[in-house]
Amino acid sequence: MKKKQRTIMEPICAVISIFAFLCLWHLGVKGELGRLMPGPVPVIWMFLETMFGGTIGSRTMIVHILYSLIRVMAGYLLGAAAGVILGLAMGWNRLVEAVFSPLFRIIRPIPPIAWIPISIIWIGLGEDAKIFLIFLASFCNVTLNAWSGAKNVDKDYILAAQMLGARKSSLLFTIVLPASVPSVFAGLQVALSSCWATVLAAEMVRSSEGLGWIIIAGMNNNDMVQIMTGILAIGLVGMLLSMIFRKVETRLCRWNKSDS
Amino acid sequence: MPMEQKRQLISCKRVNKSFQVPEGTHQVIRDFNLEAQENEFICLFGPGQCGKTTIINLIAGFELPDEGNILVGGELVTEPGPERGVVFQNITLFPWLTVMGNVEYGLKMAGVPKQERREQAQKYIDLVGLQGFENTFPVKLSGGMRQRVGIARAYCIEPKVMLMDEPFGALDAQTRYLMQEELQRIWQSEKRTVIFVTNNIEEAIYLADRIIVLSNCPATVKKEYVIDLPRPRKYTAPEFLALRKEITDIVDKTL
Amino acid sequence: MGAGEASNRQIKVKVNHLTKKFGDLLVLDDISFDVEKGDLLCVVGPTGCGKTTFLNSLTKIYDVTSGEILLDGHPADPKKDHIAYIFQGNSTMPWLTVEQNVAFGLDIRHTPKKEKKELTDRYLEIVGLTKYRKYYPKQLSASMLQRVSIARAFATEPELLLMDEPYGQLDIELRFKLEDELVRLWQMTGTTVIFITHNIEEAVYLGENIMILTNKPTTVKERLANRLPRPRDIAAPEFVRLREQVTDLIRWW
Repeated sequence: MKKKQRTIMEPICAVISIFAFLCLWHLGVKGELGRLMPGPVPVIWMFLETMFGGTIGSRTMIVHILYSLIRVMAGYLLGAAAGVILGLAMGWNRLVEAVFSPLFRIIRPIPPIAWIPISIIWIGLGEDAKIFLIFLASFCNVTLNAWSGAKNVDKDYILAAQMLGARKSSLLFTIVLPASVPSVFAGLQVALSSCWATVLAAEMVRSSEGLGWIIIAGMNNNDMVQIMTGILAIGLVGMLLSMIFRKVETRLCRWNKSDS
Repeated sequence: MPMEQKRQLISCKRVNKSFQVPEGTHQVIRDFNLEAQENEFICLFGPGQCGKTTIINLIAGFELPDEGNILVGGELVTEPGPERGVVFQNITLFPWLTVMGNVEYGLKMAGVPKQERREQAQKYIDLVGLQGFENTFPVKLSGGMRQRVGIARAYCIEPKVMLMDEPFGALDAQTRYLMQEELQRIWQSEKRTVIFVTNNIEEAIYLADRIIVLSNCPATVKKEYVIDLPRPRKYTAPEFLALRKEITDIVDKTL
Repeated sequence: MGAGEASNRQIKVKVNHLTKKFGDLLVLDDISFDVEKGDLLCVVGPTGCGKTTFLNSLTKIYDVTSGEILLDGHPADPKKDHIAYIFQGNSTMPWLTVEQNVAFGLDIRHTPKKEKKELTDRYLEIVGLTKYRKYYPKQLSASMLQRVSIARAFATEPELLLMDEPYGQLDIELRFKLEDELVRLWQMTGTTVIFITHNIEEAVYLGENIMILTNKPTTVKERLANRLPRPRDIAAPEFVRLREQVTDLIRWW
């Protein structure tokens, strides 16, 4: 019964809180503030209009979103793959850990934006530099979680597997890897949102399309509506991405949930 | 050969084991001796955290003794091996594998072909009464059912020795009675040498051929009881209760 | 119901037609019983018998579907009436010392400082933890932690004490000790205690009365008076007879 109440209550509260926020926004920009800040109506209108018909710059919103998504996905997946491999290796093997953990500890606190100048000098102004920045955002989060996941595998699982005759080489794939999956997924989730948040920084590096570009271009033209539309799009797509991610996780980590 | 002598399977001779703790050296086992014959059901009974689990870990080969030696089937124990199945106190099923996946894990590691290992795993799943749950993940099972999987998983590699470390400790009193009866049934239909650790004297008397009473830290053999009551035993039979009182009394003094 | 000799005693708790449904699922089915003042009632039922729901309904954590719980003739109200609980597992506050844990309930009730000190000292002494008063829960064993919980509950001198299988996970020898201690405290204070357990022997060892529940939907199957003299002997023929009688009423395994 309690569960039922919650499933009705949650969407109702969501609708009410979003609606209330829009009303406050709408009323808030009525006076003087309206000169600096557009209301919700023009922003939502611009978002919908450019979605299919109109353009910002020379492209529709859908195309901008796709550009950003492709960059984010490329950087994210590369970073995730490298992070899972390095993280598990660090958690599994003392030597790998000893070699990589000092480097990793230094690199991790550096925000991706700090790499912009260097990446331009090294890689240039093309797509590679943007993907590199997103790669960093993904890589650090995933490595950290895979590392702690593999390092903190319940020792009893290892004992149980050894008692059943598992050799050291098979422990990695039959025990350490699956036991780290929940932790790796937590890292992948944080990485996804942080990659998406980095898209703005990445597209500051000379681009002519993408959601980050919409905001930068809006700033250059002093177009507040365009800036807000870009922000709205980043928020909405980011939300959709994490919703999709959670669905995938539920599917893959079925064994970890007591009620499906 | 009607008078064939039973083969001795486990032998622990003058085993000592200590651990390093911040305060210094902490001896958990002192001069521990144990001989177990084939198909014998032995309960190690003792109070508190007195090193019973360490004895299991030593026979399993998870740890090595400081002094003395442990032989299983005439061979010195130096590492874990599939001739010694362990049922753990906290069960430790692999949560990412189904019941079938857990039970067949050991056979998979031994490289048994899929068809064959499925058949063998099924046999033990049936034996512990879990048919119909083959594709269920452990998280969906009750405590008693998880422990059945733990028993089936250890049995499935067909070890000569079963080491059971307080397997029913987390179950409620009634489910515990059920599991004791079940374990006795399983053991009677698939005989093994069992070393069963418990801090529950009723459980020890119900299950054991022989009870080894251990002293508190460091653990050493305090007394031995051969239990020759006919099976299945009755918890409220006068001989059962008398034995229970006797053993509880000698343990109490060591507390 | 209770034995004749005690029938003139005052009724402390009266439960009338307690019913609880989760959606269409009937969990508690019209449960009625009384507890006399100063009784030690053991409630025992088969595994999975809705014992947790039963307890939660008594403590009003879940609203009941119908029925009422009267304490001294008034509807019980956990905010006003003084009901204490002891649960399975450790419920001490890890950031408080043993002494502060025992005083915790008294702090909540704004007991004057001097009285608080006296009560804390007294109950620490009774459960034998005076030596450990400055220790933190992390430094104690499971049985000592249960003692802290028991001292904490008794120190507030509750009108009703509910215990949910507090000794389920302890060694048998420790359990006997704590059970004896509970009986001693109960005899000293005259507190009304409802003790819920799966362990039949424990119920027969402790209870003045034993109430047996059925499987879900849960209802009262039988109520037995237990006037065996204390201290009780688990091997005595009368004890064994009562234990077997209760076992037969519950047995599912």
